[in-house]
Amino acid sequence: MSFARLREGGPLRKTVILVGLALFTFWSAAPVLWLIISSLLEQKALIAQPPDLSPQNFTLENFSTVLAAAAALGRGIANSLIVSLFSTALALVLGAPAAYALARLPVPRANGIAFLILATQMLPGIAIAIPLFIVISKLGLIDNVLSLGVVYLSFNLPIVIWILRGFFLGIPSGIEKAAAVDGAGIFATFWYIVLPISLPPLSAAAVFAFVEAWNEFFFALILTRQQAQTVPLVIAQFAGQYQTVFGQMMAAAVISVAPVILLAVLFRNQIIRGFADGMMKG
Amino acid sequence: MISTFEQRRRRTGLFFVAPALIVLAAILFYPIVDSILLALQRVQLAGGAVTQEWAGFGNFERLFTDAVFWKAARNTAYFSVMEVVLVTLLSLGVALLLNHPFGRSGFFRILLIVPWALAPVANAVLWKWILNANYGVLNGMLKSLGVIGNNQVWLGTPLSALNFLLIVDVWKSVPFVALLMLAGLQRVPQSLYRAAYMDGAGPWRSFLHVTLPTMRGVIAIAIVLQTIWSLRVFDLVFVLTRGGPADATVLLNFLAYRVTFNFLDLGYGAAIANVIFALTFLLAAAYVWLLWPREPKGAR
Amino acid sequence: MIHSFNRRTLLKAGAAAGAAMALPDFLGSTARAQAAGLNVFSPLPPDPAPPGAAKFSEEAFAKWQADNGATVAYETLAWPQLHDRMATAFASGAAPWDITYNCGWVPEFESFLSPYADTLPKALVDDLPASSFATTTVGGKRYGTVFTLSLLTLFYNKELLEQAGFKEAPKTWDEMKACAKEMTRDGRFGFVLNYGDPAGIGGTASYWMVFLQQAGGKLYGEDGLPSFKSDEGVAALQMMVDLMPSTDPGSISYAGINDATNVLLAGRAGMMMNWPFMWNAANDPKQSQIVGKMTSAVLPAGPKGSASIDGTDAWTIVKSSKNQDKAQKLIEFYLDAEVQKRQVLDTGWLPIRLSVLGDPEVQAKAPNAAVVLEQAKHPYDSFVTADYNQVTVAIGTEVQQALQGSKTAAQAIADAHEAVTAIVKRRG
Repeated sequence: MSFARLREGGPLRKTVILVGLALFTFWSAAPVLWLIISSLLEQKALIAQPPDLSPQNFTLENFSTVLAAAAALGRGIANSLIVSLFSTALALVLGAPAAYALARLPVPRANGIAFLILATQMLPGIAIAIPLFIVISKLGLIDNVLSLGVVYLSFNLPIVIWILRGFFLGIPSGIEKAAAVDGAGIFATFWYIVLPISLPPLSAAAVFAFVEAWNEFFFALILTRQQAQTVPLVIAQFAGQYQTVFGQMMAAAVISVAPVILLAVLFRNQIIRGFADGMMKG
Repeated sequence: MISTFEQRRRRTGLFFVAPALIVLAAILFYPIVDSILLALQRVQLAGGAVTQEWAGFGNFERLFTDAVFWKAARNTAYFSVMEVVLVTLLSLGVALLLNHPFGRSGFFRILLIVPWALAPVANAVLWKWILNANYGVLNGMLKSLGVIGNNQVWLGTPLSALNFLLIVDVWKSVPFVALLMLAGLQRVPQSLYRAAYMDGAGPWRSFLHVTLPTMRGVIAIAIVLQTIWSLRVFDLVFVLTRGGPADATVLLNFLAYRVTFNFLDLGYGAAIANVIFALTFLLAAAYVWLLWPREPKGAR
Repeated sequence: MIHSFNRRTLLKAGAAAGAAMALPDFLGSTARAQAAGLNVFSPLPPDPAPPGAAKFSEEAFAKWQADNGATVAYETLAWPQLHDRMATAFASGAAPWDITYNCGWVPEFESFLSPYADTLPKALVDDLPASSFATTTVGGKRYGTVFTLSLLTLFYNKELLEQAGFKEAPKTWDEMKACAKEMTRDGRFGFVLNYGDPAGIGGTASYWMVFLQQAGGKLYGEDGLPSFKSDEGVAALQMMVDLMPSTDPGSISYAGINDATNVLLAGRAGMMMNWPFMWNAANDPKQSQIVGKMTSAVLPAGPKGSASIDGTDAWTIVKSSKNQDKAQKLIEFYLDAEVQKRQVLDTGWLPIRLSVLGDPEVQAKAPNAAVVLEQAKHPYDSFVTADYNQVTVAIGTEVQQALQGSKTAAQAIADAHEAVTAIVKRRG
C-alpha cells in the first residue's frame, strides 16, 4: 500500500509529473495539431499573418483533391504496407535469433560480430545509393516493391539486432538454467521462455522497423520509378519547383500517417505491456 | 556431457546468427566496399563521358584544404553532440513520465509515436512553414503572446538556423528513443524498488541505484544509435535551409549529398561519406567500450 | 565502379542476387513491358509537363500515338527530385528513358544525350527564339529544345505601388530602389526573393546573374575562365545589397521561390522577380490575397539595360534510346503550334513558338506573354556549364554573405571569382 503510494510520489512529485506530462503533450501535439489545421485551410489563409483561422477559411477541399488523385496515394499506401510489413517481419525473424545468440549463446567473438553488424549502418546511405542502384538494376529489379523491402531489411536488421540484444543481455541467467534443468532445449528455451518475456522490446523493434520502412525517402526515390512508389514519394509530389501546395501536402501526410497510428493503437497493449506487468512479476 | 552441451549451444548460436549475417553481406557488402574504393578514385560524369582513375588518397588530401568541409565538420560536431545529449536526457525524462502511473494511459503512448511516424518529407515542410519568417505560425504565436515584437528570421542567422534544425531533429528523434527507454524501464523488477524502499531509499536514490544501473544497456544503445543517426541527418537540411545561409547549416552528410548528386563528383563525395563512416565508427566504438555493461563472466 | 561492373564482380560480391532473385517478380515487369513504346521522364504538374502528364491536348496526344504506332509511358516525379534520379541513372549507365526533361543540366549530362535538335525541321526552328538554344548547346551541337518561354520578369503589386506614390513599374535600378524603399511600411516590404538556396537556376547566384547582365557584365570570358571580378560584378551585387533594407529580411532564409511568392501573394511585399507561371497563382482566389492587383513588367534596367535569365525547360533525347526517330517526332509533336497553344491556355505555361506567343487569343488569356516576349529582347543568359551547380553554390554562398553584411560586395565578388576559377581549372 505505502509502496504503491511511493511509486506515485508525494504532492510535489505529483505536480512535477503533471507539469511534465502537460509540457510533453504540448511539445508533441502542437506541431501535429498545426499540421492538421493546415490540412483544413486554404493556402490564402495560411499565408496571412497571423494565420487566418476564421471559420469560412476551413475546407475539406485539400482532402478531396488528394483523394481524387487517390490512385497515386492508394498505390503508395499499398506499396508502403507491403514494403514495411515484409521488411519488418523478416527483420524480426532473422534478428531475434541472431540477437539472442549474440547475447546468450557462446558465439565466438560475439561482441565483434555485433559491432560489425552495426558498422554496416555507419556509412551514409548517400554513399551506397549508386552502387546499390547498379546491382539492383543489373538484376532488373528496379521499381519492384520487394527489392525495396530487401534493401530496407538491410537497414533495419542491424538496429533490430542491437535493440533486442541489449534486452536479451539483461535477462537473468537463472531462467535459462531452470529451463535447461527442466530438459528444455535451446530452441525451446528461446521460443517458449525468452520470446514471450521479450514482448516489449520485440514490439519496440517492430514499431521501429515498420516506421523506418514506411517513411524512407531517399532509396525509394532512387530505386523506384512509377509502380513501386511508396508513400513518402507521393507526399513529396505536392512540393514542386515553383509551388508547394502546402494544405494538400499536409492532407496527404495526415492520410498517410493514419495507418501507422492505427497500428500503434492496435498494438498499444504490446507496446505497453511491461516486464513488470507480464510474466516476471517480482 | 557438459562439453557436448556447450558445443551444442555454440553450434546453435552460429546457426542463429548466420542467416542475418548472410543477408546483410549479400545486400550491403558490394555497395560498402565499392564506396570505399570509390573514395580512392577520381570519378566525374559532367562535361565528358564517365571518367574514372585511381587517385590514391588525393580525395582525402583535398578534404584537408577544403574550407567548406571543415565548416561542415564543425557544424556536425556541434549538432551531433548536442543532439545526442538532448535526445538522451529528454527521452529518459519522457520515459520516466510515461512510466509513472499518471502517464500510463494509451493516449500518451500514441502521442509519443506521432512525431516520429510522420513522413520526414512532410515533417520538414511542416516545420519550414511553422518557422517561416513572414507568415510562420511560430512568429504569429509569439507575437500575439507578446514574447517578441517583430517577426524573427529563425533560419536567417547561422547559429539560430543550426539550432532550429537541432530542435526539429530532436523533436523527431525523442519518440523512438523514449519508447526504447520506456521498454527498458518496464523491465526494472518492482522487487528491486521494493527492496530499495525497505532500505529507506528515497525516489532519487532508488533512481540512481536501481533505475540507472538496470537501464545502462538501454541507454548505451540509445546513445550509440542516436550518434549514428545524428551524423546522417540530411532531409531536414535539404528542405529547411539547403545548407544556408552561407553554408552555416551544411552538415557532413548534406555535403556528401551535394558533392555526389549535385556536383556529380562521385569520388570526392564518397571520400566525405567515408569520413562520416570513420567518425561514426570511432565514436560508436568508444561509447560501446565506455558504456556497455560489463557482464559478469558467468552470464553466458 | 561504373565501367568495371560486370557479372563476375556481381557474383563475387555474393550479391543481393540470392536474396533478391528468389523473389517473385510481380510488379517488377513494367519497365520491360514498356520497352516497345516511348518512355518519357517528366516533372509532375503544376511544373511544366507534356500532354498526357498534364491535362491538355489529350485527344491530339492519343491520335499522335495511334498515327505513329507508339505508346508513350510517362515516368513522372516531383521537380525537386528529377535531377537526383537522372544523375543516378546516368551515373550507373542504366537510363531507361527515351526522352527526358532537362533544366540547365544539358552540359552536365551532355555525354548521355543525342544532339537531335540539329535536325529539327527548319520551319519549327525558325519559329523559336534563337537564344532559346543557348542553354542546350554544347560544343556547337544542339541537344535540347526549350518548350516554354520562361524568363524572370518583374512582378509587382499595383495597389502597393500606387500607395507608395508611383504610377508605373520602376524602369531603372534607381527607380527600383526608391520604389522598394517607399513600399516598405506598415509591416510590408518593397521586395522579396528566395536567397536561401545558393544553387541552380532560381538560386541566389542566378539572381545575381540577372543584375550582372543588367550591369553589362558576363560570367565567363572568351577563354572560358571567370571574368566577373569587375566593376559590373560588384555593381550587380551592390544593387542587391542596397535593396536589402527594403527586402523582406526572411528572404535570406527562403530556400524555395514558393516561400517568397507566398509573401507577395499575401500582399506583404511589393515586388519580386518571378517566372511566368506566377501569373495564374497570383490570380487564384484560393491561394492569393491580391487577385487582380498583380502586374508584370520588364525587369528594371541597370547601366546597360534590362536583362534576365532563362528557366530552360527543355526536352532532350537519351543517347541509349533505341527509338531516336520516334522520340524526335514526339518532341516535335510537343512543339506543334496547336499543342503549344493549348499548353498556355490550359496550364498557364507560355509557349516557346513566337507565332503562338503573338496569337491574340494567347495574349488575351496570358496578359504577361507580351511582357515576357519583350523581356526576351534583352539578354537572358543563364551561363549554364557542366559545373553549373558547383559554380552557383560557390557564387551564391558569397552573395549570401554580402547580403548578410558579413562581407563587402567587392570582397564577396573577389572571393567568388577565386572559388570559381579553382572549380573551372580543376575540371581542366
